[in-house]
Amino acid sequence: MRCEEARLQIGAEPGRADPALEQHLQLCAACRQFREEMRTLDANIRRVLEGPPEPAAVGAGAAVRLRPRIRPPAWRQWALAASVTLATFAVLALWLLRPGETLARDVVAHVRDEPESWLAAQHVDAASIDAALRGAGVELKVTSDKITYAHSCWFRGHYVPHLVVQTARGPVTVLILRHEAVSRRYEFHEGGMTGVIVPDGTGSLALLARGAGNIDDIAGQMQQDVRWLPQGT
Amino acid sequence: MRNSQPESPVSSISTRLPAAHAPAQLTQLFESLRPDLLRFAHWLARDRAIAEDIVQESLLRAWRSRDALKEPGAARAWLLTIVRREHARLYERKRLELVPLEEVVETQASPRLAEPDGDLFTLHHAIMRLPLEYREPLVLQVVGGFSTEEIARELALTPTAVLTRLFRARNKLRVICGMAAAPDADGQGKGEGEGEGEGAA
Repeated sequence: MRCEEARLQIGAEPGRADPALEQHLQLCAACRQFREEMRTLDANIRRVLEGPPEPAAVGAGAAVRLRPRIRPPAWRQWALAASVTLATFAVLALWLLRPGETLARDVVAHVRDEPESWLAAQHVDAASIDAALRGAGVELKVTSDKITYAHSCWFRGHYVPHLVVQTARGPVTVLILRHEAVSRRYEFHEGGMTGVIVPDGTGSLALLARGAGNIDDIAGQMQQDVRWLPQGT
Repeated sequence: MRNSQPESPVSSISTRLPAAHAPAQLTQLFESLRPDLLRFAHWLARDRAIAEDIVQESLLRAWRSRDALKEPGAARAWLLTIVRREHARLYERKRLELVPLEEVVETQASPRLAEPDGDLFTLHHAIMRLPLEYREPLVLQVVGGFSTEEIARELALTPTAVLTRLFRARNKLRVICGMAAAPDADGQGKGEGEGEGEGAA
């Protein structure tokens, strides 16, 4: 083997051990040296190629480079449109299929918007309670001395009675929601508050209290105390 | 035969892959190889966005031809080949747009470039500046783990021509790194000479 052949082989495949090459290297110190250098270089090449290239390494000498104009295939655009549509339907379906969750969020948000409702200590008079219930199509059997807050509030497109009832566990907000039908009881916890939405009449009752714990007993009591009047009454 | 078979994430999958019947397994296999494919495409295209497009298109092609993949152990080489061809196809078919290099550097420069790491940084630059005819076989060999014969088949060259290109690629890098150039196989000295006497295989 001649030196040129040996160096071609070493340069092309520095890690390769070929018998003829090894025989030549035993006799040629220069090629041995060349192989050592090439193996060191090759180790560094591997180190570099193990990582991603840096774009600026294209070099300052180049004035321009060629970049293919890549347009996404048409199927991708259709796929993207289909994905967006599907996602929209999925969100809508979730929203519709989990009404309790969105309703609960609105209840919490509404109570947070009226923080003074839980601060009232004096019971409200019967006239105020009547005013709060007016138009909601309900009657209430709760005695007025337990109610410390009674307003008719705009909630999800309707005026609804917003009451705060004093109970053994403290003030409990009650929203009487004629227009919010739920199929089953829905309990929720948010911001240090506990709530429950229960189906009642043609709509539902939403109750919200401070702290953790169960307010089903209060919800049950309210279900007994609220009497739904026929629509248009 | 491979010069240096890289450790492949698919080596653990020893069972024969019934591609048409195991889409989840195939997807997992493809995803496990995606970083390798992306790095390979990135070194070929020298542009991450293009590399990502290439890999995406390649995986799509691979998925369509998944029945051709008989052994999971062959997936890496198979996919790398598809990536290389997709890269080549890109330059054959797509319209090319001239982009000022400054724009590229400005938009893609990374903090790492501000603190070059000596020889490796120089080498990094040098590899990036290698013409594709030299960079491609080098990347196929080092990143892809392809043998000279496999590279020759893939690039439609003779094995001798591949050896020459690999030699010249390293010789150019050697010179850039401050070492003396080895005489070319054709006696052309600095390794800058062309006319490597290659022919299509």
